[in-house]
Amino acid sequence: MNKNIIAAVAQKDIKNTFSSKKIWVPMIILPLLLCILLPAIFAYVGLNTGLIGESTKDLEKPINAIIKNFPSEEVRNTLAALPTLGYKSVYFFLNFMVIPFFLMTAIINSMVTSSNSFAGEKERNTLETLLFAPITVSELFFGKVIASFIPTIVITFVAFLLNAVIVNLITYRIFNEILFLNSTWLLLMFWVIPALVIFNIVLNVLVSARVKSFQEAQQFGGIMVLPVVGLIISQVSGLFFLSPLTLFLIGVGLLVANGILLKLIAKFNQRNTLFESQIH
Amino acid sequence: MAIIEAFDVDKAFNGRDILKGVSFSIKEGSIIGLLGPNGAGKTTMIRLLNGVINATSGKMKVMGYDPQTEGDEIRKRAGIVTESAALYHDMSAWDNLVFFSKIYNAYDPKRITHLLEQFEMIEKKDQLVGTFSTGMKKRITLAKALLHKPALLFLDEPTNGLDPEGINDVIHYLKKVNKEEKVTIVICSHVLHQLETICDSFLFLKGGQIVEKGTRRELEDRYLTEVTLLVETGLLPIDPKTYRGFAYIRKDRHIIEFHLPSKNEIPGLLKSILSETWIHSCEITNRSLESLYFKIRGEKHE
Repeated sequence: MNKNIIAAVAQKDIKNTFSSKKIWVPMIILPLLLCILLPAIFAYVGLNTGLIGESTKDLEKPINAIIKNFPSEEVRNTLAALPTLGYKSVYFFLNFMVIPFFLMTAIINSMVTSSNSFAGEKERNTLETLLFAPITVSELFFGKVIASFIPTIVITFVAFLLNAVIVNLITYRIFNEILFLNSTWLLLMFWVIPALVIFNIVLNVLVSARVKSFQEAQQFGGIMVLPVVGLIISQVSGLFFLSPLTLFLIGVGLLVANGILLKLIAKFNQRNTLFESQIH
Repeated sequence: MAIIEAFDVDKAFNGRDILKGVSFSIKEGSIIGLLGPNGAGKTTMIRLLNGVINATSGKMKVMGYDPQTEGDEIRKRAGIVTESAALYHDMSAWDNLVFFSKIYNAYDPKRITHLLEQFEMIEKKDQLVGTFSTGMKKRITLAKALLHKPALLFLDEPTNGLDPEGINDVIHYLKKVNKEEKVTIVICSHVLHQLETICDSFLFLKGGQIVEKGTRRELEDRYLTEVTLLVETGLLPIDPKTYRGFAYIRKDRHIIEFHLPSKNEIPGLLKSILSETWIHSCEITNRSLESLYFKIRGEKHE
């Protein structure tokens, strides 16, 4: 594999992503809303007004039940020690409910960039020219995966950093601990999310090399969000708890899956099959 | 020396034959016209020669390499202009050429500048390709195909969608490239009169088979059984149908169309007309590539 060629493909695609407002604006808005504004507002409102404590009055019993049955003793004690229901809600929300938002942002953003990759080339009639060039299909795939990975991961990390700074500015004087700086969050951000993003991208690149249009690729990518929706529901209901060990294992599982997908790509995407299935 | 050789090449798609027993060879340094109606298999042939699709059977050698197993070696040395101007519309002309030169492992700003100058696009190098006319896009695509100084250039319908001026430009550039950079050029087309002046020889493809090949002269000798000569003259023959034994039709007051058995009769005919009256012009009208093409198509059809 030729590094310069991969870099050229990746560079061109990243430039392309940021030259089209239709692509990068939603990629920024989504994390801004879900990962920065929503947690900050929830924290501020929950800690400085009685709004959340009041409105959750009816739910006091079920919330207390969740706290009582919470699998992690440390978290259980911290939650029990917090004085009001509002404080408890905020602490619980920031520590656990924000996780799926980050997962969702990473998945949706990587889907946008990656589903555009092969299908986008095809729609612009440029895939044919690329396949006529002395570039291997692996180099092409690799460049495209990198080009989808970098914008997604940079946006996610920046959102995480901003979220951590803003939320801690609001909450530190009350909780007396720095939120998001624990093993669960660090494993999530630097182990699970990169693995998940690569998995999603590789899967999407594989799909978009097979389907006929950009829309089809995106529809398929949409299915990827479903597991995260499941995760949100299970988090809310306290059914499933993302412990550091669970997160670590999820990451390992994703990496194994990535290996398998890459093997599949190498096997099924020869230049000739790609050409005959995509160019007419 | 042959730069391309094909022996008995077959290609089938989903059980449908696209090419059947195609054999030909192309001389290094020449310009070849690959002619035929839509769906004759011209584009498929180019794809096979570049190794981007595989032949069902048969053998090919391009610059000494087998497209099926050594495709990248061929692609490194060959340039291509596909039918659709395959450029990135949201990138400038310059950025497009930089990207493709990197893909071909031949990044050289001097070469890009040189090509943009050759194709008279240097002043527009920073404009987005999306804003270009079809002719301008074609010129950038040609520059793209020449970035890595290929020995062989494939052009698939290079003049599609161009106005007459654009067509002349392309033909002019191709001649120049062939002469100055010694590039062998294979042109696929169904628009014939454009190719007459530029191609050294022709391959006629029909229904997936080579139905005829040869230089213009060879084809003329084979197919030109009767010469139609249009003469602008003051001649007024007495016989309304023949003049000195040659059949004629009066087209206009001063224009007569003669039908001669061969070109050899022309000097004698003109000499005897001149002994009687004036001649302002004279032209063989049935030897255009187009009329030869229809003749070849017609004969092979029967």
